[in-house]
Amino acid sequence: MFAKIGILEAAYYLPPKRKPLTEIFRDEKTPEVALAANVDFQRDIGIEGVHVAGEETASSVALKACRRVVEKAGIDPREIDVIVGFTSIPEDYIAPTWSAAGYIQKQLGATRAFATAINTGGCASYQQTLKSVCSLMSTNDNMNLALLFAGDKVPALNHNYYPITVVCDGGGAVLLKKDHDRRVILSVDVITAGKLHDVWWVPGFPNRDPNHPEDHTWMHVAGDIGRFNTEVIPTNLFMFRKVIRGALQRAGKKSSDVKYYVYPTFSSWDQKAFCRAFTIPPEKVFMDGLQRHGHLQETDMVIDYVDALDEGHIHEGDLVMLVTNGAGFSWGAALVQH
Amino acid sequence: MSAACKLPEQRRTTRDLFLEEGIDVAPEATTRLGVDQVPVCSGHKGSELAVAAAFEALGLAGVSGADVDVVVDYTIWPQKWMVPVWNMSGEVQKEIGAEKAFTVGFSGGGSTNFLVALNFAAAMLEADEKMKYALLVAGDVTIPGNRVLNPASPVSVMGDGGSAVLLQRGASGGMVLGTELLSDGANHDVYYIPGGCLANPEDPALYRMMLDKPRYEPTPKTATMLRLAENLLGRAGLRLEDVKYVVYPNISSEDQSTFREAFGLRAEQICTSNLATHGHLQGNDLVLNYLSLTGDGAVSEGDYILICSHGMGFMAGVSLVRV
Repeated sequence: MFAKIGILEAAYYLPPKRKPLTEIFRDEKTPEVALAANVDFQRDIGIEGVHVAGEETASSVALKACRRVVEKAGIDPREIDVIVGFTSIPEDYIAPTWSAAGYIQKQLGATRAFATAINTGGCASYQQTLKSVCSLMSTNDNMNLALLFAGDKVPALNHNYYPITVVCDGGGAVLLKKDHDRRVILSVDVITAGKLHDVWWVPGFPNRDPNHPEDHTWMHVAGDIGRFNTEVIPTNLFMFRKVIRGALQRAGKKSSDVKYYVYPTFSSWDQKAFCRAFTIPPEKVFMDGLQRHGHLQETDMVIDYVDALDEGHIHEGDLVMLVTNGAGFSWGAALVQH
Repeated sequence: MSAACKLPEQRRTTRDLFLEEGIDVAPEATTRLGVDQVPVCSGHKGSELAVAAAFEALGLAGVSGADVDVVVDYTIWPQKWMVPVWNMSGEVQKEIGAEKAFTVGFSGGGSTNFLVALNFAAAMLEADEKMKYALLVAGDVTIPGNRVLNPASPVSVMGDGGSAVLLQRGASGGMVLGTELLSDGANHDVYYIPGGCLANPEDPALYRMMLDKPRYEPTPKTATMLRLAENLLGRAGLRLEDVKYVVYPNISSEDQSTFREAFGLRAEQICTSNLATHGHLQGNDLVLNYLSLTGDGAVSEGDYILICSHGMGFMAGVSLVRV
């Protein structure tokens, strides 16, 4: 059981430069392996364009989101006790040796914090981080303010994550505060299916082609699409149900208590499948982000939450569920009481 | 509950590694390092080392993999595939059959990453009554040709190894009483791998662990650890004199001496015997030295042990354990 920990503030940053999907599909190859869903990937995905970081680094994108959340909350960065990155794709320097958390600490001047990063969960890393940080804050008297952040910049020509989505660059940041009465995190449930660890990966520098140093595909995501179709998709909704139930049970709530859902912006067919499987009316799920920017890895959970709040979809007293899946493969659900 | 280390059988001497990496075998450097040999893998066997250590730790405790609630990774060297899209903890989960578990891994902090993992795992077990067992694992394999840290003026010699620690909620002995951590982000790029990722994707010469020694040396490592230790002990109503033993990494003989002096420790209070035979194995050092201390029968029930570390990032950490 967590102590009373609330979302003090949340913010995001999207680089101004945009690239239409037509240009993504022009510049990047789409594999010819068939989709499990009966859809046309390019025609039906529901994304118009994505933001691209260009000359901005992954760390600077994250920093801009962090500066925004600090400014929105009106806090002094020296009050921050812990900084935890939850970026789920390769950063400026290689992990787990390095994380951007130290850079963020330096730039913000968060001198009393310790800085680390969670490097698991894929797009569900936000829920893993929420669970870890809320546990730490609940059990330590001297942990009262936490900064969570992510900064995504995909390598050039790797925006097309066939057969799942098309990805966008950007960063998100969240401040958690102990004894904060609003947006209280009631529960978090996460699951990993380690048997699927080798369905989605990035080969890495030691696996590059030394004869073609200009070819950066060793930094691109690689997927076993056959196993994705036969092993991930059939278990996906079962695992979603499990984490949703887990989060509800831990909080002593029922699914009918949930007023609004934040769900990743992968594709139109994925959003429809989620709503259909759990008989959730589409108006109870924030979906507008899909068309606007496509998928932002783990940052979907921040950007869609912020936009849903700002655009009036979430009201005082609402119980909100943030639910997603990710590489690993992992599933996560968090309940936030407004 | 239990802990285990798995090290490759193959060993390489420091002298051979110096020659291989084109470094002058100066007696001053080898004495200062205090490392005679290190365990080395052929190929990337990080996951295998971690899985073997996990099985041993589970076996020692008589706990099934199926009972593990969370697998926590504290590896520091690059893994078989690129972290964070992929993480070894999923493979460990699969191999030990921890089907109900979730996995979580941490980046940065060098050997202190073990204390970060210990801190978060202990907090998760304490905060969640549905969780009982946390399995901490690491499998560190050094980049080939990169075993001597800072060849111009060697700071450490690095080997390969894996380790695992099993924590149980509500355990009666071996209690993790608390952890203090502090990082100085101004030094995030003092000790890291500059290449092989977004910043420098093309130059193979940059895909190696590099140390900025002029910035590394003046970092107040021991002073920070001492301050953290005093804070932690103070919270527990203890003083440094109440601590029976201290566990510390095997970076070098010089580093261990500086630490011992700053903490005012007698020689028998700290395990230094693994330095010569293993070199530096990142966070695995702390498990290896803890096992050596507790395995020789000197430690008694109720004794307090401090686990101290400083690592890249820069991150200092101290954990307090009551046996």
